[in-house]
Amino acid sequence: MINTKTALTALWFTLTCFVIFGCFILKNQVHELETELKRINQNITADVRNIHVLKAEWGRLNTPERLRKLAAEHISLNKIRAEQIINYSALPFKNEPSSVALASSRAPTEYKRLIKTQR
Amino acid sequence: MLSIGISKNNKAYDFRDKHSLNISNIMFEETYNTAALEICRKRMNLAIVLFGLIYLIISIRIFIVCLPHGIEISLPEDGLYEREILVKAPISRADIVDRNGIVIATSLPTVDLYANPKKIQDAKDAAEKLSLVFPEIKYEDLYTKLTKKSTFVMIKHDLSPAKQSEVNALGIPALEFQTSEKRVYLHDNLFAHVLGYTNIDNIGQAGIEKYMHKRLTESTKPLELTIDMGVQDTIRQELLAAVEKFSAAGAAAVLMDVNTGEVISMVSLPDYNPNISIPLGDKALFNFPTLGTYEPGSVFKTFNTALGLESGKVKVTDKFDATKPITIQRRKISDYRGENRWLTVGEVLIHSSNIGSVQLVSRVGRKDQRKFLENLGFFEPIKQLEIPEKGQPIFQSKNNWSDITMATVSYGHGISVTPMHVITAFSALMNGGIYRTPTLIKSDMPRPSKRVLSEHVSKMMRPLLRDVILYGSGKKAEVNGYEVAGKTGTAQKVVNGKYIEKCVTNSFLSVFPASNPRYALLVIIDEPKAIKETYGFNTSGWNAAPTAGKIISEIAPQLGLKANFDINTQRAHIKAMR
Repeated sequence: MINTKTALTALWFTLTCFVIFGCFILKNQVHELETELKRINQNITADVRNIHVLKAEWGRLNTPERLRKLAAEHISLNKIRAEQIINYSALPFKNEPSSVALASSRAPTEYKRLIKTQR
Repeated sequence: MLSIGISKNNKAYDFRDKHSLNISNIMFEETYNTAALEICRKRMNLAIVLFGLIYLIISIRIFIVCLPHGIEISLPEDGLYEREILVKAPISRADIVDRNGIVIATSLPTVDLYANPKKIQDAKDAAEKLSLVFPEIKYEDLYTKLTKKSTFVMIKHDLSPAKQSEVNALGIPALEFQTSEKRVYLHDNLFAHVLGYTNIDNIGQAGIEKYMHKRLTESTKPLELTIDMGVQDTIRQELLAAVEKFSAAGAAAVLMDVNTGEVISMVSLPDYNPNISIPLGDKALFNFPTLGTYEPGSVFKTFNTALGLESGKVKVTDKFDATKPITIQRRKISDYRGENRWLTVGEVLIHSSNIGSVQLVSRVGRKDQRKFLENLGFFEPIKQLEIPEKGQPIFQSKNNWSDITMATVSYGHGISVTPMHVITAFSALMNGGIYRTPTLIKSDMPRPSKRVLSEHVSKMMRPLLRDVILYGSGKKAEVNGYEVAGKTGTAQKVVNGKYIEKCVTNSFLSVFPASNPRYALLVIIDEPKAIKETYGFNTSGWNAAPTAGKIISEIAPQLGLKANFDINTQRAHIKAMR
């Protein structure tokens, strides 16, 4: 009886020690991880701040005023005119069928009439 | 059960009863053993509970230790700013971006330099050293600051990193830094009047910065405007060129999406650089498009014609006698370079006839005219516009709205409104008759709108205004393929209550493309001078109209508008280019 009791108590005691030790290890690890997280967060904050400043600088470099000046210096392009934007159908193709050939493909009678009128 | 038995036995046993002592001896021993066992059992129970509690506490502690803390888990509204969960935003005042997301105003993290004079050992030496680092601050000023009986004196705001390291190198313990931020306007003058500016404490003082101050400081999510940076720049460049060419006192332009009321561009010249502090009262600070009230002149004939057609008392085919000046309340009203003949409704606009306009409005009556203009928002400031600078229109009260008021207002005199009033009402006239309040902030929320004109009158107005460009005073605004429609306006300026000859404010109010209106553009040139190229004229058709034409030819492709060309014309162009 006593032996069983003692064994049980010893078991409980050992278990408690293990749990306490485990808890300590866990806490320690969590603490280390937290420190690392804090450091990473600080780095991210610094990076985000730097990116923000870089974005502002990029925005400053891309002002129309500056781009206009650079374009005038380095590339010989003019402003686009409304007439330069055309419909695809308006493009004259090299082997574009003539109106006569188009008519012939449509209806033979119409073609004949067209030929007749052309003669 | 057991405890009851014990208590009964205990009660039954009496130590003072000597006679019962011997008899109860055995009984006592038994009872004693049972009681001791019971106490032991109780203690065991207590120990179990205590140990249980300890284990419970340990488990809870393990659980708490395992939980990640120090990080606030909050889900962002739209998932765009996930970094906010872990990292604080680098700035406290939100960026402002244009309609395409290009940053136009931002804040940069900086440091301010301050000193604690109580910690200063040698103020003279510190002031000398500091004045070498900051040559712009006088030694005397620094010395006065450093000898103050206080624990905080600001030395300089917004130090550059180089200056900060120089100050650090001085090794004066009383000097300290505090983190701060500085508002930066990346495009200098380009958005001056739209954005406004902030003071040294980052509090909005004008424009969007002032009106949206709360929103900008409450959330770091960028504030999106309806302004298009590219279009804004093009318009500003053209206006600057016009101001220089015509030696004008100033200029302004507003471009509006007629179907949404969004302001795509708003420029006012002269302007200023919001990065540099400007003394209050400077003319450049004045935002003409929203704050400046002026007599719009002949552009108002557009509203007058719409009024006539809407009332049903005037038909497009009706003719008006413009052969001679007309007198109302002893005031003679004549035409500028008049046609001296009968004019149709369309011709009244084409030749900008004052006489025709007065006759047209006379058919409708002053009551309906006033009601129509009130409905178009001409009698009150545009409250919903997200800018604090709003002009109060000047007009006659209901009782003083006489026949002469009715007559002069018909051609845009005797009433002063802001350019924003004019273009907003004009957009309603062109988009099918729906009045939408103008806006500078991009939003998906539906905005209030009301019908002010029937759809068929709106459709009728478009070809009438297109004719002004094809055959009338607005010829110089024509842009091939974009079907510009519009109306010129030349209004003499009033100085000390008197109209001044040759001192004019010219407007050109236009819409494009006329067949399916998308954008309305109002160009105003203040006090343009006549030049050789304009043959001595300084009317709107010679300066505001060609400027608007140039602007439209450049911004229409930027806005993604396809030019409407006849296919044969296009082929002819290609042939010509070869």
